[in-house]
Order: sequence, then structure tokens, then C-alpha cells
Amino acid sequence: MTVEAVPSGPVDLDAVDLSDRDWWIGPPSVRYATFAALRRERPFAFFAEPEMPGIPVGPGYWAVTRYADLEAISSQPEVFCSGRGAVSIPDVPADLNEFYGSLISMDDPRHAKIRRIVSKAFTPRMLEQLVDGVRAVVDDVLTRARRTAEAQGGSIDVVTDVAAPIPLRVICDMMGVPEEDRAMVLARSNVILSGGDPELIEDENDPVTAFLLAGMELAGLMERLAAERLERPRSDLTTALVTTEVDGERLSNQEIASFFILLLVAGNETTRNAISQGVLALHEHPDQRARWAADPRLDRTAVEEVVRWTSPVTWMRRTATRDGEVNGHRFREGDKFLLLYAAANRDPAVFRDPEVLDLARDPNPHVGFGSKGPHFCLGAHLARRELAVTFRALLDQLPDLEVTGEPDRLRSSFVNGVKRLPARLGRGR
Amino acid sequence: MRVEADLDVCVGSGTCELLAPDVFEVGEDGVVRVLRPQPGQADEDAVRDAVAQCPTGALGLAD
Repeated sequence: MTVEAVPSGPVDLDAVDLSDRDWWIGPPSVRYATFAALRRERPFAFFAEPEMPGIPVGPGYWAVTRYADLEAISSQPEVFCSGRGAVSIPDVPADLNEFYGSLISMDDPRHAKIRRIVSKAFTPRMLEQLVDGVRAVVDDVLTRARRTAEAQGGSIDVVTDVAAPIPLRVICDMMGVPEEDRAMVLARSNVILSGGDPELIEDENDPVTAFLLAGMELAGLMERLAAERLERPRSDLTTALVTTEVDGERLSNQEIASFFILLLVAGNETTRNAISQGVLALHEHPDQRARWAADPRLDRTAVEEVVRWTSPVTWMRRTATRDGEVNGHRFREGDKFLLLYAAANRDPAVFRDPEVLDLARDPNPHVGFGSKGPHFCLGAHLARRELAVTFRALLDQLPDLEVTGEPDRLRSSFVNGVKRLPARLGRGR
Repeated sequence: MRVEADLDVCVGSGTCELLAPDVFEVGEDGVVRVLRPQPGQADEDAVRDAVAQCPTGALGLAD
């Protein structure tokens, strides 16, 4: 068993480069020690932008690591906008915008209007009706994982056999994506959030083409489904996207395609990594795991703590729409800010003993679903529900699950991703 | 204590419903409904928490 070291000792901030993708596959203890040093010494640290072949390098960005600063920026969307790009440090080339220029990279009033179309489908009440569906998916996935383990001498991969299929099936059910298209959906959303990880895209030197092809293929699926739903509406999200009117207008094809892609990708990648990283966290904290296993009343707070601890989305970007000052930091129009949720989620000014995993932590005002402002995660309830059902089932049905090796981390700063996490079922107990 | 909600600002995040389910509910139209505008003492802490944590600042308290 490995225990994540509590950050201590000096960090040479001059040697730190958050734009170096390889830094993000390094040990989490180094990452969190660096965040702690940045919060203390350079709460607005300036970094040059990462180089991505085929995309012009921009002017650089401020990395925001303190909870209070992050909240101040996030809660002033008219000063710090999303419309110039929220999920990419460089400005997105125009030809990619067709697929990736969605809600998340949009400002009010358009953002608010479009968000309303689907927010109805994500209310706690609507999701209540989904719970049995989520439970059935989780039970089936865990039964299959057990079978896979039996066929493979006890070994499974937490990502492939547990974490990936659960959110994939739930979001595809909600969107009405047919069974036979789901493997493609998973593969393409992996490409879109690969951060250019060479394992996931064909040509490391040409990520733009990979992103473009992935977007085209998902948009092709959307066009097929949209035509079907216009003819025969169903009660799924895709029907809502193609039939709802905003101010008497239907969404444009570009808006529908990018929204469809956003829901599929966000619905998949975030929850998957929360599950994988959560399983790893419980492995590293066996006392907390035992505590949660013994007490289902912990489900509510434990899920929030897993999200705080894992921060599946590391950051979102904002861009200043004018010159100004925020918490003593002067900025210019066009300045980019990276809101590092993973750093704010361990800010000792807000969380007592932030480096301690405490599944009973309450209150827990983490920013794992985003901070103040209109872009707060649309799928927060869905994620909470999926995580609560998944971890309860894991603890009850796979109590013999043991992580047996190191996680293979995704080379991306944006998603706190795990590609593989080897584990064992059924032996040594 | 009296709870007020600004429905133009609410995005239906449901944070309030999670923290104080007896007082708030996100309705079918995707925005908050205040079930008990004058919550009892037992709910006061949860309501204050919900008001503070609302991501869009759609909730307010009046005496």
C-alpha cells in the first residue's frame, strides 16, 4: 500500500512549468505540493502557453490557485468571459469551433437560453426517475467485471471494466445513442480529451486533424439521430436538442452538434475519472474505505469528498473582457486565467486539513463542479447519483477489489485522467 | 427568516435542494421552487449554507 505523502519541503517554483504535459503524469504529491507553494507565494503565476502542433501559441496565462481568487473571477462572467475559449489554453482554431464551440465556451445571454433547454433534463427530480436505471447499469457492469476477473485469473482493469462502461451507458441511454455506436462514442471522446496523449491519437504531430475527425464522426452520429428524432420524437435529450425552440428559433446545426458532443464527452470522461481516481484514493486510505463500507449514511458526504479529492476537471479558462484588478492583481483586456479547481480544492483557507481525505467532511464547499457563476456543472446531480450508486455497489458487491499496481496517468493538464488501473478480484482473501 | 429566489438568475444547479431538500426543489421547468419560504429553526443552518453556496447567487435571505 502506498500513502500519498503530505506535501512538505520546498518547491522550486522557478522550475515549475504547468504547460509541460509530462509534469501532469508525475506523482500527485509533487503536484499538490506545487499547488500549495503557488497558493502561498504566487497566487497569480504567469506561464507560457503549451505548444500544440498546428495551433498558434498565444500570449500566456495566469494560473489561479487560491479559492477566493478563483471564486472572484468565476463569479464575474461579464469581466472574465468563457466565449473566447474555456476548455483550451490556446484560442481554438475556427474549423474546430464548429464541433467544440458549445455552451461551455459561450456567454450569456445566449448561454442561459440554451442551457435552459437541457437543464430540465438534469434536475434532481428527473434523475430520481433514472436511479433504477443507473443501479441496473452498475449491477450489470460489476457482474461482468466479476466474470472478466474469473476468466483472467482474478485480474481486471478498473478503468476498462468498471469506471468507463458505467457513465458511457448512462449518458448514451439519456441521449438515446444506439448500442452499436457506443464503442465509437467512447473512443472519440477519449481523443477529444486526450490532451494530445500519443497513446490516444494517431499522429502526435497532428492533433488538430485527430480532433477534427473525432468531432466530425460524433457530429455524423448526431445528424443521423437528429433526423430520426424529428420524424419520431422520443423522451431523450437528443429530441430536446432538435425540437426545443429558444425565442421562437430552433438551435442551429452547429449549436446542436457541439452541444451533443459536449454532453457525450463531459458525461463520459469526468465521471469515469472520478470513479477510477476514487477507487485509487480508497485503496490509498484503507481506513476511510472501511469506514464508508460499514456506513451507507456516509454516501452523501463521501461522494462530495471524492469529487474534491480527485477534481476530475483540473481547470477551466476565462479571458478578461477589459482592463481591471481582482483581489489586488492588475490585469489587461485579453489576459487569460486558468482557474485551477484542483488547487482551490486544497486551499487551507477554506478546508481544514485539506490534504486529508475525510469522507465525512461537512460542509464541503468544493469547486469540483465549478465555482460561482452561470457555468456551474450542468451534470452535477447526474454525477453525484452515478458516484453514489457506483461506490455503494463497489463496496457491497466487490469488497475483495484490490488495486495491484500504479495508475497509468493521462498526459493532460485538463482532465485528471487515468488510462489504466490494474486490480484483482477474489484472491488473497 | 424569509427565503427569496431570483428566477432570472437561477440555472437550476440544485445545490440548494441537495443541502436543504425540505425547503428547495428544482421544478420541472429547471428552476428553483421555494417550498417553504419561511423555514423553521431546524432548517436554518442548511438554508444559510444553501444560500451561500448557490453558484449563481439566485437565493437571498430577508429577516
